[in-house]
Amino acid sequence: MEFRDIEKWRRLEEEARELRRREADWEFINSQPPRIRAALKLYVETGDMYVASRVADVSVEEFNELRRKAGIPNVC
Amino acid sequence: MSAEVFAIADTCFLIDWASWRRRNLLFSLFKTVFVPESVLREVRSERTIEWIATSLSSGSLSLFTETPDVIAFARSLVEKSKLLPIRGIDLPEAICLAAGKMRNYIVITENRGALMAAEILEELSGINVWRSLKLIAEALRRSLVKNDFREVFAEYEVDTGHRFPKKDLEEVLHELRGEA
Repeated sequence: MEFRDIEKWRRLEEEARELRRREADWEFINSQPPRIRAALKLYVETGDMYVASRVADVSVEEFNELRRKAGIPNVC
Repeated sequence: MSAEVFAIADTCFLIDWASWRRRNLLFSLFKTVFVPESVLREVRSERTIEWIATSLSSGSLSLFTETPDVIAFARSLVEKSKLLPIRGIDLPEAICLAAGKMRNYIVITENRGALMAAEILEELSGINVWRSLKLIAEALRRSLVKNDFREVFAEYEVDTGHRFPKKDLEEVLHELRGEA
């Protein structure tokens, strides 16, 4: 593992996070029940759908639908 | 066995592709795509279940049952990834990576953590990990789709709520045009 690899991924992650923050429908997110709201915010920050779905206590597919309703892009 | 005969799909990939209007392109690229049992458990909608069940019955998809050796390797990958100063991976995608490495399957994923792990962890050296960008590019390269290149990628973004990184997409489009 080289330092420049880590730096490259860090930069890409930051760009993706910025995009998710910018495009998210925050009104929708903030109108959700606490568990879903927290999970959507976690997803905006990390892009980690599996962990976010566990926080929301729904399946990954159900969480993916919430993600789309919240206008959060899956950047990959 | 040629690496391009078999692939193994993670949850995010399968769910995204189930929403895409050209989802069956997947089966023109691989002989069969393995679906781990843990991935099946994450699917709920009638549309996705129906597509998966039909594809399982035709043999385009095949069930992958996680064995103890795969799970043990996957767990070690999760732990290794958590030592890195970037986003790690979780067990479901680690299972796909472990199976990919151990069985020489192409790992197909929409999970950036999996892409990072494949590039950084020494235990995964030589593994083949493809994201949708590469799969779609491959389908276009093989002329499995005749539409305008950019239009096909745009359709995928619209249908799935996915976003390809601009720079990566432009690079792929440039390559494809150079080959056309």
